[in-house]
Amino acid sequence: MEEVRIGVYVCWCGNNIAKMVDVEDVSREMETLPNVVISRDYKYMCSDPGQDLIISDVKKHKLNRVVVAACSPRIHELTFRKALENAGLNPYMFQMANIREHVSWVHRSRENATKKAKSLVAAAINRIQWHEALNKRSVEIDPATLIVGGGISGISAALEIADSGKQVYLVEKTSQLGGYAAQIDLISPFMYNAAQLINPKIEHVYIHPNIKVFLNTQIEEISGYIGNFETKITNSENQSIELKFGNIILAIGLSTFNPSKIQNYKYGIIPDVVTSLELEQVLKSGKILTNDGNVPQNIAIIHCVGSRNSNYHEYCSRLCCKNALKYSNLVRSAIPDANIFEIYADMRAMGNGCEELYSATSLKNVMFLMFDQKNGLPEVREASSKDNCKMLIEFDEKLSGERIEVPADLVILMVAKEAHKEAKKLAQTVGISMCGNQFFIERHPKLDPVATTTDGIYVVGSCQAPKDIPDSVAQARAAAARILGTINKGSVEVEVTTAKVNEDTCCGCQTCISVCPYTAISFDEEKQVSVVNEVLCKGCGTCGSACPTGAIRSQHFTDRQILSQIKGLLDKSFELQEG
Amino acid sequence: MATRVDPNFMHDLEKFGVKNWKDCFHCGNCTAICQLTEKDILFPRKTIRQAQMGLKDKLASNGDPWLCYYCGECSETCPRDANPGEIMMALRRYLTSIYDWTGFSGFLYKSFTAHLFVMLFLFFAVIISFLLFGGLMLSELTPAGGVQLNTFAHPEMIATIDHILLLSLSLFLITNILNMYYKVIVKDKSVKIPIWIYISEIGEAVVHFATQLRFSKCNKSRMYWFGHWFLMIGYVTMFIFIIFFLTWFQTEDIHAWYHPQRLIGYIITAGFLFGTVYFMIGRVRKKKEIFKYSHHSDWIFVVLLFMVALTGILIHIFRVNGLPFATYYSYIIHLAFEVPMVVTFVAFSKWSHLAYRPLAIYFTNMKKKASALQLKSKLSVAV
Repeated sequence: MEEVRIGVYVCWCGNNIAKMVDVEDVSREMETLPNVVISRDYKYMCSDPGQDLIISDVKKHKLNRVVVAACSPRIHELTFRKALENAGLNPYMFQMANIREHVSWVHRSRENATKKAKSLVAAAINRIQWHEALNKRSVEIDPATLIVGGGISGISAALEIADSGKQVYLVEKTSQLGGYAAQIDLISPFMYNAAQLINPKIEHVYIHPNIKVFLNTQIEEISGYIGNFETKITNSENQSIELKFGNIILAIGLSTFNPSKIQNYKYGIIPDVVTSLELEQVLKSGKILTNDGNVPQNIAIIHCVGSRNSNYHEYCSRLCCKNALKYSNLVRSAIPDANIFEIYADMRAMGNGCEELYSATSLKNVMFLMFDQKNGLPEVREASSKDNCKMLIEFDEKLSGERIEVPADLVILMVAKEAHKEAKKLAQTVGISMCGNQFFIERHPKLDPVATTTDGIYVVGSCQAPKDIPDSVAQARAAAARILGTINKGSVEVEVTTAKVNEDTCCGCQTCISVCPYTAISFDEEKQVSVVNEVLCKGCGTCGSACPTGAIRSQHFTDRQILSQIKGLLDKSFELQEG
Repeated sequence: MATRVDPNFMHDLEKFGVKNWKDCFHCGNCTAICQLTEKDILFPRKTIRQAQMGLKDKLASNGDPWLCYYCGECSETCPRDANPGEIMMALRRYLTSIYDWTGFSGFLYKSFTAHLFVMLFLFFAVIISFLLFGGLMLSELTPAGGVQLNTFAHPEMIATIDHILLLSLSLFLITNILNMYYKVIVKDKSVKIPIWIYISEIGEAVVHFATQLRFSKCNKSRMYWFGHWFLMIGYVTMFIFIIFFLTWFQTEDIHAWYHPQRLIGYIITAGFLFGTVYFMIGRVRKKKEIFKYSHHSDWIFVVLLFMVALTGILIHIFRVNGLPFATYYSYIIHLAFEVPMVVTFVAFSKWSHLAYRPLAIYFTNMKKKASALQLKSKLSVAV
């Protein structure tokens, strides 16, 4: 092993660190530790002169390891790794000690803060002795993309990618494209005709030279990793086709809640109780009629059927309120003298144009009646002959505190939007996670709502959460842009701090396979050992800590590195004084 | 028991002067600011909600709109400009129309033209009957003969007509009141009121009637309270004197200015003038919330009252100054304003609130006391 020559650099961070930590003292003391060749303090290590200082020292003193005591590695680790690369060193021969967020910003005693800083830097110096050079790796990206689901999200993403000249495989389970949007008549709140919006897009998809559509097709299995996925599908003629692609977009959309689960609403028992989706078919037919062919005089729209109710779905389905308002408007224009009742729990029509739609609807002689889910749901019952209507809906009206009954000839249930029935199966197939409601989980709820924790797999549209068309299209195009970026680059860098299995000591217990959150470990039946796919591995270390025989080694976080870091931290010479 | 909603009710109510009712989103600011609302009598918000939902039976069975004196603070506070005060006002008109079993009240309230027509008909009917059958035909009345009002309009004859009018209007008003009692007390099965509560609550109702102290709780405009009270007192005094003491009140003798007969006349006139002028100026300027929206019944009522006062003053001036025919003509005009005012308003429109409001307070207090008793006895059974 070559001689270890460490350079230590203590940053002032202007006054941020220097005010609370005696940086000169820290620097002086570190110089006395073994293998430390040079120790310096400097006003701003991250500045160009600061980095140049490291580079010239590496060359002048033949340093092969660098410790910087400054801010959080989340801020400047990459900066200094680059500096090391520029100096001709492997970027992993670097360790950072955080003496700003962990020390100067959070302590009041300058003496103790200085001692704690010394401990942290000594720990880093102890650790870095055992650092190993790791080499960056990258994988080639197959320029084709697989899109699962031919709804408006899948179609939008497909066209975006295909128009840039890249191959798209669009797989749709049913016999036609268009998804949920193709089933509806007009789109709230601006009442665009859905067919007029979507049909041209569908035509484009079919004739696009870069899009291959597979109808009546389901994905059974996907193998591979970012850049190099593959699957075998069976098309309608029962031919088996093998597809290779670099990225996957999941756009499987949603299902709707089955309202017969709520007995109050008598869905399936009284034929004039229909779901919102069934009403769309009625609206498409051009005539609103009851089951026996009469024009309904009293139309009641019940909101939150299965939504915002802990017995069914706790979440808000987000699309129903504005759709319900749409129905009020459509019924009002179809049957001008009808009595229309919106029986709602809370009015949550949000988004562009929706509040305006609500205001406009309230001026159209629509009666808004509020119920409280906690005090029981409205009860639909058949009316008697003297009631002059087909059904009566009874409930406690929240704003008046009165128990009321509402006449109805047609009841429209605004059914909840729930995760697609196939979502769970698909999540297991491709190896991504779901939330408790079986919607796919994005990588970060705020900052990365398009990607998943598995590289190369993106979620768009309502399979992530109920979404309206503009949100779905936006997300679809965002995913397309991300994919085009990686295709354009040709390759992606993958994590190098991955786990490695020592095949000699692996006992084949497969504990690691069950704990891995990224399905990155598989089992080699022949050798009876676990194998880590280094492209899928994110280096989280879960397998390493779970392995009973210590056969798994997390690179850059080896046992020896961590134990010596702890040893440095506990070094008696920097022990804090009481108080 | 669930109450059936009626989506068309508010459209009917619009004819009674409701505006902007769709704007109310039930924030409850109106109830929060109201000085008169109580724990279990929550208006205006709850009353407005009942109206919005068309719960007609509920509205008929509670007298809540009568408990409001329309100070206007709710309308000023309303963030949606839904005018809760005016909705309460319209509900009072509506209640007046449903207490009236003849349907004449609704006819007058819903149409300005109808009310105007009835009024003009009575106005000219009075004039014509005086011209055809009245004192102007009598030969003993000459300009030289001095003012002989009692010859021109014999007090006993006038009193007889008064009494016939009073009797028939009272009949309507009393049956309407009974109808109100039936709707508010009998039909409401939720409370049963023992006889002694009827007696114990009378005192408070009378005090409220005479003083309108409840109104003074509204911390807005003492001036308005005074104008309203003064007009009411003037009216009631005049009513008592022309019905029961007309022969003493309408005399040939010209008493000294300090004579009780003249003093009472002046007080009545002052009450009338002050109240009506104050209201008319208010309704023209529309500065105060209560005066911002005027239903046709409001204007007709206040203008008629003002004209009655004005013609009363003219009679007095002409009589005191010995101008016989000017006196007689003024007298005819005076009655031509008085009769339509009494006929259309006493039992069928705005005037009737003189009866309904104290009764509503009386009924509400009885119900409150009775339901408190019921709760107490229920609790003691439970213990």
